[in-house]
Amino acid sequence: MADKRKVTVIGGGVGGYPAAIKAARMGAAVTLIERDLLGGTCLNRGCIPTKALLQAAEVVQTIGEAPLFGIRCDNYSIDFKAVANRKDAVVQQLREGVGTLLKRRRIKVVCGTAFFKDSATVEIKETGEKIQSDNIIITSGSKPGRISFEGSDGPDVLNSDQVLALTKLPQSLVIIGGGVVGVEFAQIFSRLGADVTLLEIMETLIPGADREIALALEKSISEAGVKVITRASIKKISRQKGQNTVTFEHANDFKSVSAEKVVLAVGRKPDIAALELDRIGLGHKNGALTVNEQMQTNIPHIYAAGDVVGGLMLAHKAMAEGEFAAAGVMGGKTDLKPKQIPNCIYTSPEVASVGMTEAQAAQYQDVEAVRFPFSACAKALLMNRTFGMVKIVAEKKFGHVLGVHIIGPHATDMIAEAVLGMLLEMTVDELAHAVHPHPTLSEAVMEAGQMFCGGATHLP
Amino acid sequence: MPLEIVMPKLGLTMTEGLIVEWKFKEGDKVKKGDILFLLETEKVTYEVEAAADSVLAKIVIPENDTVAVGAVVGYLALAGEDPALLDIGVVAPESTPSTAGSTVSESIPDLELSVSRPETEAPQTNDRPSSTPLAKKMAREYDVDLQTLAGTGMRGRIIAADVTKAYEAKNQIKSQVTPPAGEADADKLVPFTGMRRAIAKKMLASKVDTAQTYMTLTADAMKIKAYREDLLPYIQEKCNVRISLTDILMKITAAAILEHPVINTRWTDEGILYLKKVHMGMAMALGEGLIVPVIRNINAKTFSQIAMDRIELIRKGRENSFLPDDISGSTFTLSSMGMFGIEEFTSNINLPESAILAVGAIIDKPVALAGKVVIRPMMKMTLSYDHRIIDGAEAGKFMRTLHSFVENPIRIDA
Repeated sequence: MADKRKVTVIGGGVGGYPAAIKAARMGAAVTLIERDLLGGTCLNRGCIPTKALLQAAEVVQTIGEAPLFGIRCDNYSIDFKAVANRKDAVVQQLREGVGTLLKRRRIKVVCGTAFFKDSATVEIKETGEKIQSDNIIITSGSKPGRISFEGSDGPDVLNSDQVLALTKLPQSLVIIGGGVVGVEFAQIFSRLGADVTLLEIMETLIPGADREIALALEKSISEAGVKVITRASIKKISRQKGQNTVTFEHANDFKSVSAEKVVLAVGRKPDIAALELDRIGLGHKNGALTVNEQMQTNIPHIYAAGDVVGGLMLAHKAMAEGEFAAAGVMGGKTDLKPKQIPNCIYTSPEVASVGMTEAQAAQYQDVEAVRFPFSACAKALLMNRTFGMVKIVAEKKFGHVLGVHIIGPHATDMIAEAVLGMLLEMTVDELAHAVHPHPTLSEAVMEAGQMFCGGATHLP
Repeated sequence: MPLEIVMPKLGLTMTEGLIVEWKFKEGDKVKKGDILFLLETEKVTYEVEAAADSVLAKIVIPENDTVAVGAVVGYLALAGEDPALLDIGVVAPESTPSTAGSTVSESIPDLELSVSRPETEAPQTNDRPSSTPLAKKMAREYDVDLQTLAGTGMRGRIIAADVTKAYEAKNQIKSQVTPPAGEADADKLVPFTGMRRAIAKKMLASKVDTAQTYMTLTADAMKIKAYREDLLPYIQEKCNVRISLTDILMKITAAAILEHPVINTRWTDEGILYLKKVHMGMAMALGEGLIVPVIRNINAKTFSQIAMDRIELIRKGRENSFLPDDISGSTFTLSSMGMFGIEEFTSNINLPESAILAVGAIIDKPVALAGKVVIRPMMKMTLSYDHRIIDGAEAGKFMRTLHSFVENPIRIDA
């Protein structure tokens, strides 16, 4: 036992706990330090609680559609407190699950805030405990970003953490920021009955996504009742008699919108403040830790993974990177560096994509893009979820699939097929000729592939 | 798969080698590092070691045959392989030296290990390598044989990048082989290596900074050849090295230099520096450049010591393990082009030396001797000398001595 490599993981989120489990499975004696709750942002303040709320919103949507299916569902009501309680119950169950997994792997969990004493020693601020190790993996995650302007520090201006702690449903909301977090909150609160306005400074929602998909999302979310204003540059928030007025510039004009609460959904920032990195000279840039291809920092025995290294801040990316870093620490060579990272938005319809957008791919290669609409998919019709499409971007010569973008029902589940395929360097032929079960939504992916190979069966 | 034993390339100038002696018989067990066979080029004798514990399964090229560099001379069977059952599709190459080194030598880097495992073990024909769909399509389009690739994907899977790499490599070889006249093949710019820059600087300085002048003699090499044949078995038995003609010529030249100290000099700002000892440089091709390893104080050394020094220097060159002393401080250099059949050439003075000797091939020629035309093995030697230091008459006297020593090697001990 004394010979075991000692690995310390700082941060018990979705970057940290998989890293700890992987390292332990590969034979390390692992200590995991978490200052707050196991599961980190994703489990406690991000993916999981928002998806719990979105599931409630989905139920509302289904009830709304019930008469179409011949089912009467009059006189239902929404108990927001109960919705919040269910969210908390799910979160708690998953968090306990993580604790159990760590215990099974004999991973020592230390509660407290870690900082570097020297490059091999981490100290716990609250207890003074010093932990020495051969390797350290930093997965300290991120915190909600802030932007400062007049009124941005008002009492009704909430960040995503504070929104998730709400126990009472606000009547009206202005959400500043039309990225993933912003559109999901807009969907949740709109479906649960609030009057929601979504402001985005860029030309489309979800900047960076394929333009066509982003416009489709804007259409669907607007039709569902959210007031979307893009190219809106925020000027100030003023507060009067329990109402907050957000003033913004749009089309060379100053406009304003009022609401009970204002949500700042302006991205997240790596969280490195507590670590005291400069004492050991650990490299960071623009607030994020700098790592090489192996997720190794400038100090070779210290690795970092997840939100703290910047870039896309996604739970599944953090998880894959954490495991990759742990394998690197333990000398594993077979683990693949995570390459194809899907992007997912859990609105209704959902949005999911992997690889390059049509515009990105066109810069490098001669590409072709095809679209298959869910309106031509039997299962989507059965579900009454015909809005959306599968869009595939492929290079022309070999049909190499460069990007897959889906907006529609269960897009986030269906994107996994594209991720695997792209990892295996699939071409449109494999996609077109792989037999997909009928009737399913997944047929839409196959039929989109067929459009490269002479045409889809279910399109005229 | 049995291991191929190939004729190694011991230098840029080597195109073929003579198998002098096999140290084992077919069926003998060999250990890694055992000497498998002796080979001889015009310049050197060299011992080829076994690459692995194995059995000498087959001797393809018998003793006293010459083959081109890169040719398979035999096979080793590894553990678990029955030498008798090995399906060695041997086609004995023609042992005519005239075709030597025409095609195979391209793929054999200089000073490469003599016995090498084939780069990719040929897969069974029914065991196709796993490859991605994109890689398959690209291989078809670019005419790349997937069987020849080693995949870098998961579990050795061949991925698109592997095909691209092979395709690019193929194109590169093509552009090297086909003359630039071909319209499809673009001209190629190869950046300077450090060694190339150093050579360029030194060679140009030699032309620009010295008053280089040339003088050629023709000598009858019959006695020196006989001299070597006399020495060879004795030295081989005594020291287990095979003495070469170059070894003898280096010693003879050094003896001549002793009688003409002006040849062993160096131009300095203060005056002409006469060097007491002769440190003989031997020009040698190394990889893509050239290098001049040094046999120190050569006059004090016996023929066998010189031969052993030379073999040791070649070994160091092959292993890239020269010490600074091995390749610096020469006072005179000898360069030989006999293995290319070059009859006569000039060498560029190896600064800061004052002279260099260029030794051509020994060629049978009709000569007039005592009123009769007879065939004799003749050799031309050209001295390049720095006329700032060495006057023509001094050079002439040195060459006369050298001529007399080459034709009567016994005189160096006089």
